[in-house]
Amino acid sequence: MKKRYWRCFVCNDIHYGIAPPELCPTCKVLNAYVEISAAEARKILGGGPNTSQTAEDFRAAIESFAAGNEFEVNPDREKVDLLLKGIFENELNHGLKYCPCRLRTKDWEEDLRIVCPCHFTIHETYKGIKDGECWCGLFVRRK
Amino acid sequence: MANLLMFHGRECPHCKKMMPFVEKIEQETGLRFDKREVWHDEANADLMRSHREDLAPKCGNQLRVPTFFNPETKDAVCGEVEYEKLKDWALKQS
Ligand code: SF4
Ligand SMILES: [Zn+2]
Repeated sequence: MKKRYWRCFVCNDIHYGIAPPELCPTCKVLNAYVEISAAEARKILGGGPNTSQTAEDFRAAIESFAAGNEFEVNPDREKVDLLLKGIFENELNHGLKYCPCRLRTKDWEEDLRIVCPCHFTIHETYKGIKDGECWCGLFVRRK
Repeated sequence: MANLLMFHGRECPHCKKMMPFVEKIEQETGLRFDKREVWHDEANADLMRSHREDLAPKCGNQLRVPTFFNPETKDAVCGEVEYEKLKDWALKQS
């Protein structure tokens, strides 16, 4: 199934997915999403605020992401600093926050699987492993 | 002598850990690894991608760094491995 674009008729949130959320996460209205075109979605997103993210902002973002999960950002600060440097260089040079421990294939869809944070909870370095880590060791299972 | 390749990334902690092992193996055995950094050098990245069919099945169906590769035998080892394991692998290639 192909992902498509949807717009909340109340608050203009944009959703990209195979189906819209039942409940809008922003305005909490039920059944609020209408399908729209890619061009419309891009226009709405393009007119939004031009936010940016430093490596420190990203560190805070992944810390709050991990807070709700069974893993944490690796307490090894030096390792995390090296990885964040790579992630940001990859974004600058190659367009997205690609994983520093893998290489993009140049197939767009395929390479979305290595945008950090990736779906590492299914990797063999994490799933079912006591001291599991993401492939790079940016995230580790909480003790 | 076998022409061994090491694909690595400048900001990859596994690669950082393996680099001294590789240098030690080179000193002890006289073998040489052709070290190719893939995130800051597109020619090296393209070289690694050109071997995707041989590398991916051995590396969780992905292109991972570090990857040690013998283009002649198509044999590959990926990720952080023990010193002895990499040394045995390298010797087996020569
Ligand atoms: S393996 Fe870790 S560092 Fe690499 S993309 Fe996934 S979460 Fe990020
Ligand atoms: Zn809404």
